[in-house]
Amino acid sequence: MSTQPAHGDATIAVSDELAARDDMIVCREVDKWFGDFQALSGISATIKEQEIVVVLGPSGSGKSTWIRCINRLEAHQSGQIIVDGIELTNDLRNIEKIRSEVGMVFQQFNLFPHLTVLDNITLAPIWVRKKSRPEAEELAESLLERVGIPEQAQKFPGQLSGGQQQRVAIARALAMEPRVMLFDEPTSALDPEMIKEVLDVMEELARSGMTMMVVTHEMGFAREVADRIIFMEEGEIVEVGTPHHFFTEPAEERTKLFLSQVL
Amino acid sequence: MTDPMLPPASTAMGAEPVIPAASPPDRPSLPPGRWIRENLFPNTRNSILTIFAILIALFAYRGLLNFMFSEERSWIAVRTNLRLMFTQAYPEHQYIRVWVTVGTIMVLAGVSAGIWARWGGVTVKRLMGWLMSGGVLTAAGVLVREPSVLTDAAGESVRDDAGELVRESFAAAMADRWVWWAIAIALLALGLVLWTSLDDLRRRTIEIPVAWLIFGLPALLVASTWVVRYGHYGFTEGEFIAEPGQLVAMTTRVPWTFMWLILVASFALGRAARDRAIASAQAAEETPNGGPSDEGADDDAVPELPRGALARTRTSVNLLWVLSPFFLYWVVMRDPEIDYAHVFSTMLPMGLAFGAAGAAVLWLLTRSDAGEVGRLAAIGLLLLAAFHWVAAYFGWYSMLQVARIAFLLLAVAGLLAPNFAGVAAQRRRLVGAWLFMVLIAFYGATVINSPSTVETPTDMFIGGFSVTLLVSVLTIMLSFPIGVLLALARTSRQPIFRVLSTIYIEVIRGVPLITLLLFFSGVLPLFLPDGMELAELAAAILGYTLFSAAYLAENVRGGLQSIRRGQYEAADAVGLTTTQRTGFIVLPQSLRVSIPPLVGQVIATFKETSLLAIIGLFDFLRMANSVIPNQSQFLGVRRENLLFVSVVYWVVAFAMSKYSQRLEQRVGLGQR
Ligand SMILES: Nc1ncnc2c1ncn2[C@@H]1O[C@H](COP(=O)(O)OP(=O)(O)O)[C@@H](O)[C@H]1O
Ligand SMILES: [Mg+2]
Repeated sequence: MSTQPAHGDATIAVSDELAARDDMIVCREVDKWFGDFQALSGISATIKEQEIVVVLGPSGSGKSTWIRCINRLEAHQSGQIIVDGIELTNDLRNIEKIRSEVGMVFQQFNLFPHLTVLDNITLAPIWVRKKSRPEAEELAESLLERVGIPEQAQKFPGQLSGGQQQRVAIARALAMEPRVMLFDEPTSALDPEMIKEVLDVMEELARSGMTMMVVTHEMGFAREVADRIIFMEEGEIVEVGTPHHFFTEPAEERTKLFLSQVL
Repeated sequence: MTDPMLPPASTAMGAEPVIPAASPPDRPSLPPGRWIRENLFPNTRNSILTIFAILIALFAYRGLLNFMFSEERSWIAVRTNLRLMFTQAYPEHQYIRVWVTVGTIMVLAGVSAGIWARWGGVTVKRLMGWLMSGGVLTAAGVLVREPSVLTDAAGESVRDDAGELVRESFAAAMADRWVWWAIAIALLALGLVLWTSLDDLRRRTIEIPVAWLIFGLPALLVASTWVVRYGHYGFTEGEFIAEPGQLVAMTTRVPWTFMWLILVASFALGRAARDRAIASAQAAEETPNGGPSDEGADDDAVPELPRGALARTRTSVNLLWVLSPFFLYWVVMRDPEIDYAHVFSTMLPMGLAFGAAGAAVLWLLTRSDAGEVGRLAAIGLLLLAAFHWVAAYFGWYSMLQVARIAFLLLAVAGLLAPNFAGVAAQRRRLVGAWLFMVLIAFYGATVINSPSTVETPTDMFIGGFSVTLLVSVLTIMLSFPIGVLLALARTSRQPIFRVLSTIYIEVIRGVPLITLLLFFSGVLPLFLPDGMELAELAAAILGYTLFSAAYLAENVRGGLQSIRRGQYEAADAVGLTTTQRTGFIVLPQSLRVSIPPLVGQVIATFKETSLLAIIGLFDFLRMANSVIPNQSQFLGVRRENLLFVSVVYWVVAFAMSKYSQRLEQRVGLGQR
């Protein structure tokens, strides 16, 4: 990274040595400790542009930790994470740049409760992307249309159902026009009847060509939508494969055991 | 506990009468007799407790009444010195300045209320409750107060052989107080008539707009000064005037009538602006939020419209509030004699130079490619600004105070520059803000440094309640940002900020306020750089500000800790910078959580201004406690004044506390 010029906004070059051009996320031997506890050990994986990757694994296996390392909500201690050709280091500008390229949807929605739905969505486009307010509002309205709740723009998050809140959260992430979307168990906090409305939005997003990395326990979604499935346990990647391979002929014993428990 | 922002219950029913969501419609209210039996005397134990409590209350009430109406009281001292207590010895012929000040506050208050207030209504039932309680209290007062002392023909109290005061008989006393009986009966009768003429549902659902009460009661008071002979008392040009049975002086009646008119007119203006903004917004949206349009619904159902013309009006009203104390105190009350030669030779050119140079610097710093160089330049500016203060302390070179302040402002603007970088509109906004700050700073410095032309017997031209108000308002305004910064520093990840702010807060909280005040008024001037003086008043405000900031910081910190981690993560994930995350996400939420303790601190500050007397200022309390008792006409009259002063303090503090409760309810919406 030392070859980069020290100033300028469009100058963070996609260097060929770091990753191939259509590699959206590259992880190489990523390790992460919480104190003495190793949450991720030697994670290596590549996610191509427009690819949908679903991450499966038992609770506590490090799925969230990994996905959160990718936009630097957690800092990894060794190894490389390269997003859209930019390596994640302690350099604040790289972090800000990557965060505006990567959208994230949380299990608990994490909407801003003191702002209306519209303001939740337009805040970052206005202040980070420097869009004008009318422009940002127009974008927000079209996104709300896209996630199916155009009539809720003036409400506050607390006035919406869980499923609606999660769809607002997706719209908020999309408003930054990200190149990648990360989902950390987006449906786990929802009542069963609301899960489908969120999954439908995610499917539509996948069809539109968005690169997505999804941690979920929805096996149906994994089977139907994923291009690849990554199975993790105890901070390691155990098995990688297509849904067909994964659900019909898993190679590893641990994968079989996991599948027998969840299916 | 109705949520004002949730329109469903009240609008969905539509049919009138609208039933407020707070009272379940299926439980009719009890008739007064049954209510009393069920709530006050439900069983023997509670009956005993009730009677006991009533006896204690009556005893205290009797004591208060006997005190207030005793022949030994000389309320005339309070009535005569009203102006003194509120404005000290502000010269009579300049009194128009006082009225301009009060008028400005009325305009701002009226417009603000018009734009913001959602007062709603009071049910007839509650109103009847108040009326009847008032009647009962008055009647009880007439009964329990001791009979008056007999007076002889010369107006002297009659004493018996043992020297005891002779009082009239109970029957005579009751007969003498016929006016009070009339009032009590009128109140009770009004309440009862209202009660019987309405059925229960109507009693609980018909609402009187609170605005009527808020403007109506002062209207009654003001109107009564034109009719009722309250008597005319005062010191006019040093002359003691006591004319019982006269109308209140014209110089009191006319201005207050004006003030009332101004208040109502500005309220109407603010309301009209709000209604127009709402109407145009609804016209633009056709069907707002898919719900039935809530015409006819009361104020509570009006949705918040934070954007557009209304938002601009609100911002400007806020700005006017912030600027008004400086303007009113230094310009209107003080009437500074501005040295125009100095203005044209120094202040104006210097201000222009600062404005232009600063604008150029900021324009450069907000270029999209300013990057790291820009940040370094801003830090350089900060160091330069800091150096000027250090140099001032050691007296290396002289510089106008305002220039030091301007350098500091420029440094702050420079540090904020990255948030405005890139887009032309945003860059212009920052430069505009800078020019505005320069204008304020240079104008303020000119005005503050010009001598006052108002001549008073003491060296202070402001005193009494005005100084109490000025100190509390400025203290609150100045300590708020400092408190927030301290709280942020104390929760910051930077150890140096954390340590410094913790030490500061803990030291201040461990020191009595009095010592701080004495320190700032007496000791601090010794430490100040050469040529810098600190007026007594400024020293006091500084002491209060630093004190109050430490407490506010702790309250804000409580709010900061209540913000969940997910909020920080979500803000980070959408790419907000740390400043933006703090300003848009963390602070707004934590300030809402800390409204009750913050208002508590504001009230405490207001009351603690009574310590000003100790460092020699003539505040409200000192007027009552030592100035009036030293007047030759009212030697030793103190208790009456103290009671009056307490009531005024209480009214203001109570109003603030009520307001905070409403504010809490209103912003409660944002919190799920
Ligand atoms: N902030 C943290 N501090 C310490 N341990 C953590 C922290 N976050 C996660 N862990 C631990 O790391 C492991 C992986 O957690 P996580 O990534 O949340 O798992 P998953 O999302 O797969 O359920 C767990 O054992 C968890 O207890
Ligand atoms: Mg998880």
